[in-house]
Formats: sequence, C-alpha cells, structure tokens
Amino acid sequence: MKKTFSVNLGNRVYNIDEDAYLKLNAYLERIEGHFSDQKEREDIMNDIELRISELFSERLGVNKQVITYTDVDEVIRIMGDPHEISGTEEESRGTGERRSGPRRIYRDPDDRMIGGVCGGLAAYTHIDPVIMRLIFVVLLFMGVGLLAYIILWIVVPEAKTTAQKLEMRGDSVNASNIGNFFRDEFESVKKSFRRRK
Amino acid sequence: MDFENAKAQMRKGVLEFCILSILSKGDAYATDILNKLKESQLIVVEGTLYPLLSRQKNSGLLSYRWEESTQGPPRKYYALTEKGNEVLKELESSWRELIDAVDSILKK
Repeated sequence: MKKTFSVNLGNRVYNIDEDAYLKLNAYLERIEGHFSDQKEREDIMNDIELRISELFSERLGVNKQVITYTDVDEVIRIMGDPHEISGTEEESRGTGERRSGPRRIYRDPDDRMIGGVCGGLAAYTHIDPVIMRLIFVVLLFMGVGLLAYIILWIVVPEAKTTAQKLEMRGDSVNASNIGNFFRDEFESVKKSFRRRK
Repeated sequence: MDFENAKAQMRKGVLEFCILSILSKGDAYATDILNKLKESQLIVVEGTLYPLLSRQKNSGLLSYRWEESTQGPPRKYYALTEKGNEVLKELESSWRELIDAVDSILKK
C-alpha cells in the first residue's frame, strides 16, 4: 500500500504516489531555480507543467489511475535536465555556484555557543568559527573580550530569516540561493537525524 | 576554445528559426512543434523548447490563445505575429546567404 497525493497540473488533477510526487516536486523546483526573471519563469513553468500534465494523461487509463515513480522518471527523461532546459549560458550559474550579494553582520543562531556572536562574525569573515572563538578567548584574558562580546551581542541583530542568513554569508537573496539554502539545511537535518539513530 | 558552446549556440539559433517557420505554416501548440522538431532530430529533450517560446513571445514575435482539448489539459496555441513574420523573412534570407557562404568555402 502506498500513500498518494493529488496534484493540480495545468488545471487537471492527478493522483500521484508519494515518492513520485517528491521527485517531481524537486525536479520542478530545480528548473525554477534556473530562471531569475519572474515573468519568464512563470511562463516557462506554466508551459512545462502543461506538457507534463499532457504526458501524464497519456499514461493514465481505465487500468491505471495513479502516476508512479517510473512515470515521473520517464517524463523527466523526456523533458530533460534543468541545465539543458535553461541552455548553456546559464549552465555555470545553475551548478550550485552561489552568486554573491551584499554582506552584513548578523549573529548566527545556528552556530552559537553563547549569543552567536563568534559564529556570525565567522560567517561574515569566512574564518573558521573555532578560530574566531579562540580569538575571543585570548581577548578575554587580555581584559577586553568580555566587554567587546557583550557590546556585539547587544548591537548585532540575530539572523532570523533565510534572507538574513544568506546576507550574513554574503550570498545574494534570490530564488536559486534560497533553494540551495533549504537543500543544505535539509541535508544537515537529515544527517544529524541519522547520527542520532 | 569551447566548441561545445559554439555548437549549442548554433543549434539554438537554428531552433529559433525553425520554430518561427513551423508556425508560419499554421498555428500550433507546443506538442505539435515538438513533434516536428523531433522528427527532424533538431531537439533531444523537450524542455529546451519552452525558454525559446517564452523569449519569442516576450519579444513580440508570437502570440497565443487557449483551446480546450478533448483529451488532456487545455492547449496553448501559438501564432506568428506581424513582427514574427518580418523576423522570419529576415532570418530566411540570412540563412540562405550563410549556407551559400559556408558552401563556397567548404568546396574550395
């Protein structure tokens, strides 16, 4: 027995297996990440969804009412890899290369020992957080560390949103980077989950 | 030099030209266009067509209308605009010039 979802593709409803849904969703998101212009992206995604909808309806019949993983696999093979869809010019941009944007200092809530000050500074300067903490420990013994830390804790805002976390690392805030960010987050959650098991 | 890129660019240019000339023979929806391009082996994966259609539409070469379909989802029929026709004519003449030019060099 398998759980199914129902999805709307090109204004038609399809029942789709859970694993097939996840695969298709990830595929569509990857294509979306390749197009930065909003109007263009909407157009293309609409057309692609419409075509996928058509390919699905060709595969369904009286004896087959659910879209399976194999169907999605076939459809993806027909539609092609996101790199090919977006064309060669965008290839270098799409291979996970992050374009840089304005960088700002934030406290990093995901990499904190006390207030996330060292973690945030480390992300901002691209220095290893452990080294950043060692610097602060040394400063502490010199007598200025504690005061500096407290001031920074008060003055520097915490990176709460995804956009702020990207800014902290100097990644520009666009759909593709946010996509990458969530993929990384997801992977790290998955890894720590496995470790706990 | 990156020959793969040169090849891809060439293919892309020819594809745009072919899309326009397919549409000059009558309105068509994406799957019609795809079938013709696949017949002549100009296209390997279908996805490459959509960014080209979107670009041509946004530069005013194509227009579209919706039509219901008896089987499957509604279809988006593309048609050539005035401007699209003009661009096609220009492309046709430069295509012939190019072929002649390349041929004359290859034969020497």
